[in-house]
Amino acid sequence: MFYHISLEHEILLHPQYFGPQLLEKVKTKLYTEVEGTCTGKYGFVIAVTTIDSIGAGLILPGQGFVVYPVKYKAIVFRPFKGEVLDAVVRQVNKVGMFAEIGPLSCFISHHSIPSEMEFCPNVNPQCYKTKDEDVVIHAEGEIRLKIVGTRVDASGIFAIGTLMDDYLGLISN
Amino acid sequence: MADEVVRVSQQQTKPIKIKKWKIRKGITVSIGRILLIYEQLENGKSEQKRLKALQPGIIHQILAKEGDVVQPGEILYEIKACNHPTIMNDMCAECGTDLRKDESLKTTASVPMIHSIPDLKVSEEQAQKLGKADNECLIKDRKLVLLVDLDQTLIHTTHDNIPPNIKDVYHFQLHGPQSPWYHTRLRPGTLTFLKSIYELYELHICTFGSRNYAHMIAMFLDPDQKYFANRILSRDECFNPTSKKANLRALFPCGDNMVCIIDDREDVWSHARNLIHVKPYHFFQHTGDINAPPGLGKQENDDKEGIDLTNLMNKTIQNNSKTDLEDNDNDAKEDKTEAVDKEEEPDKENTKDSKENKDTKENKDTKENKDTKENKDTKENEVESKKEPENSVNKEIDTKEREKNGLPISEDVQKTNEDEDKANSTEQNECVKNNGEDTSTGNQSNNIDKEEDQEEKMANDGDDGPFKSFDNASVKVVQSEDNFIEIEDPDDYLIYLEDILKRIHTTFYEKFDTMEAGKTPDLKQIIPDVRSKVLQDCRLVFSGLVSTHSSLEESKAYQVARSLGAEVLEDLYEFATHLVAVRPRTAKVNAARRMKHLKIVTPDWLWSCAERWEHVDERIFPLNSKGSKNRHPPPHCSSPEHAVTYPEHETPATRKRTPSGRFMDTINPLMSFSSDDIANMDKEVEDILDDESDDSDRENEVFAKADNEEEEEEDTDVEEAKFEHMMQTEILGAYDKQEDDGERETCQITDEKSLADEKSLEEKESAKRKREREEDENSREDLPSQKFRRGEDVDNELDDPDHDPDDNDSDSFEEPDENDDGEWNMMGAALEREFLSG
Repeated sequence: MFYHISLEHEILLHPQYFGPQLLEKVKTKLYTEVEGTCTGKYGFVIAVTTIDSIGAGLILPGQGFVVYPVKYKAIVFRPFKGEVLDAVVRQVNKVGMFAEIGPLSCFISHHSIPSEMEFCPNVNPQCYKTKDEDVVIHAEGEIRLKIVGTRVDASGIFAIGTLMDDYLGLISN
Repeated sequence: MADEVVRVSQQQTKPIKIKKWKIRKGITVSIGRILLIYEQLENGKSEQKRLKALQPGIIHQILAKEGDVVQPGEILYEIKACNHPTIMNDMCAECGTDLRKDESLKTTASVPMIHSIPDLKVSEEQAQKLGKADNECLIKDRKLVLLVDLDQTLIHTTHDNIPPNIKDVYHFQLHGPQSPWYHTRLRPGTLTFLKSIYELYELHICTFGSRNYAHMIAMFLDPDQKYFANRILSRDECFNPTSKKANLRALFPCGDNMVCIIDDREDVWSHARNLIHVKPYHFFQHTGDINAPPGLGKQENDDKEGIDLTNLMNKTIQNNSKTDLEDNDNDAKEDKTEAVDKEEEPDKENTKDSKENKDTKENKDTKENKDTKENKDTKENEVESKKEPENSVNKEIDTKEREKNGLPISEDVQKTNEDEDKANSTEQNECVKNNGEDTSTGNQSNNIDKEEDQEEKMANDGDDGPFKSFDNASVKVVQSEDNFIEIEDPDDYLIYLEDILKRIHTTFYEKFDTMEAGKTPDLKQIIPDVRSKVLQDCRLVFSGLVSTHSSLEESKAYQVARSLGAEVLEDLYEFATHLVAVRPRTAKVNAARRMKHLKIVTPDWLWSCAERWEHVDERIFPLNSKGSKNRHPPPHCSSPEHAVTYPEHETPATRKRTPSGRFMDTINPLMSFSSDDIANMDKEVEDILDDESDDSDRENEVFAKADNEEEEEEDTDVEEAKFEHMMQTEILGAYDKQEDDGERETCQITDEKSLADEKSLEEKESAKRKREREEDENSREDLPSQKFRRGEDVDNELDDPDHDPDDNDSDSFEEPDENDDGEWNMMGAALEREFLSG
């Protein structure tokens, strides 16, 4: 799910940037440091929308670095158990398939793929398909899945998904 | 926990009527899965609702039937808790349970079945199921599994700087713009090989390269992901850093009956029987397998084969530095842009052209002389060099094999080299990637002629006999119009490999068809079988191939011949078919000449058969007056069937010092002292040596060297004087001890004094030695090409880069010594070993 929330971040600035462009530097540094990161609590920070305030800088004694507390608003993406999402299939194999929902990668076990769909290793690209070839899921295909579990690491979030529910599976245009 | 059965009852407050079950027995359900559709009777209205699973697991039993009305509290179905058969990132992929949160949650999933995703694990049971499905699928398509190694099997990669414009070489970086460049050359015919072998085999990559590297190479080999799909196993997924075998069980849980392996190394597969040991592909000189497993370095002499591109490179670099002062890091793209810059300079070049023409004319003359002279011996080899230059604009470059060995490098060659030196200085601007649109075209071709000359010489040096030389001699460098250097690569091994694999496939399915349903033959038997049909009806006799002091059965040649199905006879009998002889004019050869039906061949014939798995025409390998030096099979020919390997050369266990004998004359301390005394002495020596134990090894080498080289007589004398002095002191001390304990103190003082003396002596010594070593190294640091220009023999240097130069010397010098006074040697060595080892 996407949220637009207020967040805080501290920017550590090297003294070489002290000058007329200082605040600009703080802003650009915020973008590069924050966008694309992931926290367990809020999920992925997709984009910073506004920078609300840049607090008073505090010079660290002995170092010369200055710390600016920055308040900003950002769009974050946080997956939840039970959430239904659209994803792009990345890889298909005999154990299941891997899909990506933006920055979030997700695995769907072959047990969680409707049993009428079978894995076909010998067609290129490999795919899961029904007998009558009505539904063919292969890499780069778009699917709708439901998340059944998430693992939050320091580096990112990993999800387990399923296609076993109504209206899940291949999204036909 | 895993087998616990939970009964799920109707949780509603009102009775429900089951319309339809959406599940059946034995399937896995995750939380929220729809189990059944029911009707609830509420206020007379019937409403369809769905019941969803509240806990994950496997349906054990469905108790309520469709159409039943179930009262609240009655049991609907039984569910077995999920035993987490598939795990991804420590999370059950079936029910989404986090297995890290609760240590007690045990899982049976332990088999990483997908090559590139080690985090995804399935249970043994699941693995068996999937493996069985795989095998069925293979049999249905009449395919087999082929595990393909990358480095030196299908490709050769180097980190060395090479010219950016060689054809069929891929350049890439793996870790961003600052990381080292990789240059990869595909083995000739790789793409056709993959295409035709793909029809018969399911291809998997099994490499010790990193994951990024493996996937990058897979992109080159298979841009559509048609051949390999995602079946890429890299070092990052290997269980064992030195063996690929451990992963086999995970990838093929139902056994490796249908798995065939091609690799240039046997050791990483623990000499598996289903391995085809391919001839290593070598393109870039001075580079071995960049992804060799740690501790298992290449045994072969990597520098012997391959093409030395340093000359091309030097020119490119020189050129670059002249036109553009910036270091361009061999960046292909940058170079291209620079090439445009260079077009502005033709005027400058033209002035030099006249001079160059003179040079090159001379050059041509000498070259032609050489050609005619040298091609006499090697006419028969032309059978092997099939490839012809395709270049049309430049004059056809006639390159044939040359045998340089044994012959001192002729004046012609030296002259050529001088010419080249001269030419280098003038032709710097005229780079290989120059646009050949003006008059410089002619010069360029000559330029390349020379380079090629040199390369060939490099390649040919140290080769003997046709077997080796046809491998790498007919290397041609041709510059095409689009500024790409095309290097003719004589490697055609993949043609033979394809044939071998096709034969194996046919044999497998022939056998499969005759077997009863449900059984499959085992490739571990079929592959040795196919191999043993190669020389099935041959009866070989060896001459000069197996040394007299080792038994025939233990020799490598015997094992190779046996694995190919040939019979090896002890002696020359009437029914023998081939005589494999190293030298002409042995008794056996003479006898064999009288037998008409007998074919006399060099061992190269046998190695060639083993390499290609086919009965090679004997006429290619006749025994001529020179004989052959390839007594030992190339490493890739050894058979996987006989996994026992015997060391080919007994290396001396310790470096031996040859005492002059004078010391031994004075007294033999080992005989006149009691064991206690000797132990005492040992201890003292050990104490002394402990201080410098670090460089004791090196010293030993120096010892050996010093003794062996006459120029260093002085050195030797000092060394010996020192040693004697030391011994005498000890002997004295020991006597003293025996005679009078009271005098021990004084004795110790003398000991210490002598110790100090020794120390200073030692220091002087080591300083001297160091100087010598440095000098030595300096002279050795010459590039082979430089040496070559001076007309020296480059053979030794090219043999083995890691080889310690000191080793080299002492080895070669030691042998005659051992013969001369072996006995003294032995005693001296025994003595010294005892002192050193304590």
